[in-house]
Amino acid sequence: MPEPFHILIAEDEVLAAMALEDFLSLRGFRVSVAGNGIEALERFAREKIDALVTDLRMPRMDGHALIREIRQRDAELPVVVMTGYLTHDSDLTHDRWKPLEIFSKPVNPRTIHATLQRMLGMPPATADA
Amino acid sequence: MATGFDELLDPNGFVPHGVCLLWRPDILALHIASDTLIGLSYFSIPLALLYFVHRRRDLVFGWVALLFAIFIVACGTTHLLAVWTLWNPDYLLEGVVKAITALASLATAATLWWLMPRLLVLPSPKELERTNTALEREIAVRRQAESRYSSFFNNLAEALFIVEVRPDGDFAYEAINPALARATGLNPEQLRGRRVRDALSPEVADAVLGRYSQCRDTGESIDYEEVLSLPVGQRVFHTMLVPMKDANGRVVQLLGSGRDVTERRRLQEEMVQTSKLATLGTLAAGMAHEMSQPLNIIRLWAENILARLRGNALDPDRVDRALTLVIDQTERMARLIDHVRTFGRRDGGSTQVFHPVTCINSAIDLVRHQYALEDIEIVERAASTDLLVDGRPLELEQLILNLFSNARDAILALRGAGRAAGRIMVDVSGEQDGHTMAIQVTDDGGGIDPALLPRIFDPFFTTKEVGQGAGLGLSIGYGIVDRMGGRIDAANVDLEDGHRGLRITIILPSQPASSLDRELSHA
Ligand SMILES: Nc1ncnc2c1ncn2[C@@H]1O[C@H](COP(=O)(O)OP(=O)(O)OP(=O)(O)O)[C@@H](O)[C@H]1O
Ligand SMILES: [Mg+2]
Repeated sequence: MPEPFHILIAEDEVLAAMALEDFLSLRGFRVSVAGNGIEALERFAREKIDALVTDLRMPRMDGHALIREIRQRDAELPVVVMTGYLTHDSDLTHDRWKPLEIFSKPVNPRTIHATLQRMLGMPPATADA
Repeated sequence: MATGFDELLDPNGFVPHGVCLLWRPDILALHIASDTLIGLSYFSIPLALLYFVHRRRDLVFGWVALLFAIFIVACGTTHLLAVWTLWNPDYLLEGVVKAITALASLATAATLWWLMPRLLVLPSPKELERTNTALEREIAVRRQAESRYSSFFNNLAEALFIVEVRPDGDFAYEAINPALARATGLNPEQLRGRRVRDALSPEVADAVLGRYSQCRDTGESIDYEEVLSLPVGQRVFHTMLVPMKDANGRVVQLLGSGRDVTERRRLQEEMVQTSKLATLGTLAAGMAHEMSQPLNIIRLWAENILARLRGNALDPDRVDRALTLVIDQTERMARLIDHVRTFGRRDGGSTQVFHPVTCINSAIDLVRHQYALEDIEIVERAASTDLLVDGRPLELEQLILNLFSNARDAILALRGAGRAAGRIMVDVSGEQDGHTMAIQVTDDGGGIDPALLPRIFDPFFTTKEVGQGAGLGLSIGYGIVDRMGGRIDAANVDLEDGHRGLRITIILPSQPASSLDRELSHA
């Protein structure tokens, strides 16, 4: 059996992180949670991470800073952004941050799952659950 | 006419005066005619004098005319006697009458000389005429002035009134002008001369009498705003009272002027509303973010439970936890909705004792995310988080939001000019004296031209383009701080990192911790 993909969730809302963690774990991912950008960067340095799911607004280091840092280390890492509010002039929509997908909260976890599968090059799931 | 020698001989031995004239008829006729005419004329002159004195009772020296009358009558009598003595040599009688005349003349002459200095000072008719014209001119000028003043009084748009302070200290209306009548709906005729208490409705009378008494008692001008229920409805007046004193310093009159500021007040309120709308943009952004969080949690848990239900991996504990969590999150959203609801309220709610730091935090929370996207960092340094102030938390929050948005505008403008900026510092500290606290919002947006600094709290003062700023943020903030009994100042500052910026300092009276307990126990 191959190693499951390792997903890092950076989200300061613990309850949201827990639900998403459980949801993705049930679907065979290995999931870690970080409460802010700094914590996320630390895990990124220590462990092998296959994809990042991150919030934008977080204490200490927010999602923007985190993504900037990560892109300097890994230009290919799939990033999924979940945000409560995105201004029109945010530059995250710019191509240079790709591969990156943005979803506004409330997010549909099934969409997140499907997006991760696609970005990680996994065959699409035949059925839900 | 022939006369015998006997006739010549009077018992006293005098001869008639005609003899001296040799009875020449022409000379006799001349004398008789002249003396008679003189005598008659002399008799008529005092009559005329007496009549004059009688009619002109205002004459100063009337009694002198009497003297003249006596002297002239006597004089006239001597002339008539001269005719008589032509035939009858009653020279004694004539002598006596002459003596009386002499006395009267002497008295009159003496009196005249004696009176001369006083008569000389009597104004001449010419002089009188001159004085009269001068007087008339002055009267005309005064009339003109009076009519000018009364035309001021009657035509000025300012509502004017004059209150008489009666000797017993009570007040009565002397006059009110048409502008006041129009503004209040009161009838000038019904007010004039009436005591204030009889002229106005009891509540209005109570309200204005308090002010009138204050002005009367202090003897100083006062200036105030009052809300009155008048025939035209409820109006707000800005009124000024000026006391007028008599020579003894007693206040005898109050001059009042009033301006109806109802409309202006309403506009000001609307301005507050408008600026709320402006901050509403910021608020909407903050709200969208805040609401998305609990919604996200609810959605994720619902999906999670559903997935487990369908995969037969659900235990009751998990359902219980998920539902409790959903309930908690809906409450969180309800609080947010409440927040927006109060924000839109006109009066801003009643005042209360609260933690300004909580307020500042919620303002920061509203914008932090949005600002972070623009690379503007908000750094909060709250030395003491347990400080308390009295006021409306939402107003303070609005003020802080306005300061943030000004700082952001300045930062973005500076960046537009190619310079680096992007920091907003919020410092909260208690002051040494223990009675006040300070909130400072400092940015690195380059500050403001010192020449403009004194004007930034003026309503509608803005350096921003049309549509970018109404120039209301700081003036409304000024009002908010003022209502809280504090003050707000602005200064350019040089920061440690070499940047320049504007620092807004808000000083507020701080409340003792016990006042919060009291408030809570009331709630
Ligand atoms: N932090 C700041 N740095 C530099 N200038 C400032 C700052 N804050 C205010 N000003 C100046 O003061 C003016 C008045 O500010 P104010 O908040 O009252 O109005 P505004 O921001 O122009 O408009 P509004 O707040 O109604 O949208 C601004 O136009 C700006 O010139
Ligand atoms: Mg402003």
